Amino acid sequence: MSPSSAAARAAVRTEARSPEAGSPEIRASAPAGRTLGTAGRARLRREARRVLFGNWTGNSTVPSLGLYPHQWSWDSAFVAIGLRHLSPARAQRELETLLSAQWDDGRVPHIVFNPRVPLDAYFPGPDFWRTSTAGAGAGAPRTTETSGIVQPPVHALAAWLVHESDPAASRRRGFLARVAPRLAAWHRYLAAHRDLDGGGLASIVHPWESGMDNSPCWDGPLARVTPAPPDSFQRADLTHGAAADRPTDLDYGRYVRLSADYRDHGYRDADAPHSFAVEDPSFNALFAASGYALAGICRELGDEAGAREHSDHAAALTEALVRRLWSAEAGQFLCRDLRAAPESGRAGGRLMDVRSVAGLLPLIAPGLPGEITGALLRTVTGEHFGLGTEVRLVPSYDLEGPAFDPYRYWRGPAWFNVNWLLERGLRSCGETERADGLRADVLDAAVTSGFAEYLDPYSGAGRGTRDFSWTAALALDLLGRPDSGAAGEAEVQRGEFT
Amino acid sequence: MFRTACQEQLLPGETLQQKWEFAQSAGYDAIELRGKGGFHLRDRLPELRKALADGVVMPTVCVDMLHFIGAFDEDLRRDAVEQMKSQLSVIGELGGAGAQTPASYGMFSRRLPPFQPPRSEEEDRDVLLAGLTELGEHARREGVALFLEPLNRYEDHMVNRLDQAVELIRAVGLDSVRIGIDSYHMNIEESDPPAAILAAAPYIGHAQVSDSNRFQPGAGHLDWPAWLGALDGAGYTGHLALECRLTGDDAAEAVASVPAFLARAAA
Repeated sequence: MSPSSAAARAAVRTEARSPEAGSPEIRASAPAGRTLGTAGRARLRREARRVLFGNWTGNSTVPSLGLYPHQWSWDSAFVAIGLRHLSPARAQRELETLLSAQWDDGRVPHIVFNPRVPLDAYFPGPDFWRTSTAGAGAGAPRTTETSGIVQPPVHALAAWLVHESDPAASRRRGFLARVAPRLAAWHRYLAAHRDLDGGGLASIVHPWESGMDNSPCWDGPLARVTPAPPDSFQRADLTHGAAADRPTDLDYGRYVRLSADYRDHGYRDADAPHSFAVEDPSFNALFAASGYALAGICRELGDEAGAREHSDHAAALTEALVRRLWSAEAGQFLCRDLRAAPESGRAGGRLMDVRSVAGLLPLIAPGLPGEITGALLRTVTGEHFGLGTEVRLVPSYDLEGPAFDPYRYWRGPAWFNVNWLLERGLRSCGETERADGLRADVLDAAVTSGFAEYLDPYSGAGRGTRDFSWTAALALDLLGRPDSGAAGEAEVQRGEFT
Repeated sequence: MFRTACQEQLLPGETLQQKWEFAQSAGYDAIELRGKGGFHLRDRLPELRKALADGVVMPTVCVDMLHFIGAFDEDLRRDAVEQMKSQLSVIGELGGAGAQTPASYGMFSRRLPPFQPPRSEEEDRDVLLAGLTELGEHARREGVALFLEPLNRYEDHMVNRLDQAVELIRAVGLDSVRIGIDSYHMNIEESDPPAAILAAAPYIGHAQVSDSNRFQPGAGHLDWPAWLGALDGAGYTGHLALECRLTGDDAAEAVASVPAFLARAAA
């Protein structure tokens, strides 16, 4: 980061903290926002495609060749969103491959293991989860090994976006008709088995289910979990990643404990102790956004009753998000720890006073009350997240929080999928200029970091693995959009393509 | 944005000028010539020079004979090499890029009776290296390139995949010998066509297009966005030359549909 851009940042910071700056209409000019020229866009497009070609396995995409050699659930959804610009056929296949490992109870597992990859390439691997046997009662596939937990339900949204990229080919292949029942079963699983408190939201039962694996949000609830002994497992992630960027051994022991307990109860939600149970605003916001997408899918298929069911459920999720997770004091959504002692007269558990970017992502859920949207927009650009003032890409955690660490997984770094979601949220709120600025910064950061897994939010330096699939995919998606105000134009054009 | 070419026999019209008029109106940027045996292309030079003067763009020629540089019969093989030399000279005179040939076509398939070719693999390789070296040196003198086209297993038994062509070209060691890829053959032979394109990227000199069923692009099930995306990623800047059969009620319409289809798929 050059001194001149630091000076520009300081200037913008002063401006952003002026009295009017709280208004969401104020455009904080992005400090180092660089717009790619035609040649830069062409280079980015070519490079992003190279990553996706390289990480394609024939049926799906690995998040990265070394560190993550299997198929991950929400990675695949984000990858499909970018892959649709490279090959709608591959994008459809990506999602179909993931959904082919769906359990009979409807859950979409967070990892689908590639049987050709050695058992010790990733921990916890198939020999730890043992889903084909331990999960048989919950309907785990008998011939495909998966993990037993889930990740955020981004899939219906991805399926709809993939369909929109080439509706004629999608109809010809019966893509939506094939995935719709699976997506509906997935949403029904979350609604029926994961509303642990009966308040209308889905709970996660393992930090990894949030997708934001090591967020400081989980520190409190995890502290109650007895770690598995360090000699009872062998981590594989440290072979590829720098230890300082990765979770600590103690946290890893707790992750292992939670997974083992779930497994040892047959992955049946009614039987498992779920000593970790949290209502995560990001997970539920994605659930709501996907609910509306699933309603759109049903409508496209002529299923009006299904469309009503899913859009009603999505509206109920949004309402429950506000009722159970909104904090007016914080100006953002917070996680609810269902295993903490309840506040008197309130719903089960307790809101955690930890500011994660997960609490801003409900911006993507349609139908939020205006005052909440306004408060969220102020928080995004305020001192805790500093978008457009302190940082170019929104960090995963409170810049001023006690646990902030610019390097360590989900405890500060900026992630591309989060920023893609935020860009979408800003655009849907009519914050076109701010969304355009964020998009330009995401594109610039993607290419200059070599499609890093995540970034130091201050310096923009790449962290984690490189040639990371969703970074390339989401850059390709943002690249494919018109400049401002005309979201969806590209899809309409592709719609005429036969 | 790729430039497109159409093989001359697919274009309506009596003369190259008439064909060019149609090609341009359909969005093509060039015409790919077909080179028959008996030095036919050389004998067409007056016609070709006139077409060139009239603005017809003719960057490449594709061989149109029934014997090839990998022929079992020595006389036929020798003749094929001489024919290709002549075609390279003609395309050089026209200011073009090169001439395309397979190792052989319709001579032998290991997948059809009698399954065992009369020549060993080593002998096949020696014959091909000799022919490619001689033609590569000639092409270099003419300022053009020879494009070696891998064909599917039923049409040729020697060079089916891009990596086989790469191996031969590396052994020849001349920049004037490149691969002429063909989407249809790749669809049969390559386990991952886009990955094969990227792996062979520095060696690709020409590209011919037809769909999974040998019909015009758009009439089959090839994953065109991925195929073209990989070709773009490979840094390919040549033409996409239409070499195919046509399906549909109206042949001219089928030909005319291709440039727009490819542009859309590559968008």
